[in-house]
Amino acid sequence: MLIFRSEETVRRWCKAHGVPKRPSMTLDQLWQLAVTWYENRLTEESRRPGADEMAGIFARIGLEGPFWDPRADQW
Amino acid sequence: MPDPMDFDTTVKLNIYETFAKTARAPSGAEVAEALGVSGEAVAAAFDRLHKRRLLVPEPGNPSQIRMAPPFSGVETSFRVTVRGRDYFANCIWDAFGIPAALHADAVVEAADGYTGEPISLEVKDGRPVPHPWVIHFAVPAARWWENIIHT
Repeated sequence: MLIFRSEETVRRWCKAHGVPKRPSMTLDQLWQLAVTWYENRLTEESRRPGADEMAGIFARIGLEGPFWDPRADQW
Repeated sequence: MPDPMDFDTTVKLNIYETFAKTARAPSGAEVAEALGVSGEAVAAAFDRLHKRRLLVPEPGNPSQIRMAPPFSGVETSFRVTVRGRDYFANCIWDAFGIPAALHADAVVEAADGYTGEPISLEVKDGRPVPHPWVIHFAVPAARWWENIIHT
């Protein structure tokens, strides 16, 4: 995943790489994701979330649909 | 014989503590020396941690760590400065993951994915300083781990 200064440079990057443009994420959404994912990473009990947990984490910050579903086979 | 899960947790904590304190990845030999165990035992733990998606070894060199997310074992284009120490992150998500994991403010130096123009981000008092910049994921969640270094 990459950061861009504008939606326009996202579009140019997608065109240059021949990939579809997906919905973008804001800095606040990224921060919420980073905190949920990593705030306990240096502790004994930390672990990577499972697929169901991941889908729930994404949904709570407004990222829904097959693209954000780790169990999906189409997107 | 020690429980492999407990041993893996000990290895994982040593790796993360080393990253946090030094901003670099320990080698398998350094982890073995720190824990007073054999290199073979640490190599087996690295393999199990990789299967649990907590560690990515360097391709072709399983005793070196390429990623212990959010930390990168190699220099990347995502430099994260925390308390005067420079870390490297694997991607923009992990660039925010480092201050989240260290519970600290940070400055993140990145670049626009298309133009290469520098982008400087700051995490201050537990929040990102607002900017209108956007993050784009090209790979769907179901495929992230197929090639995590690329993702």
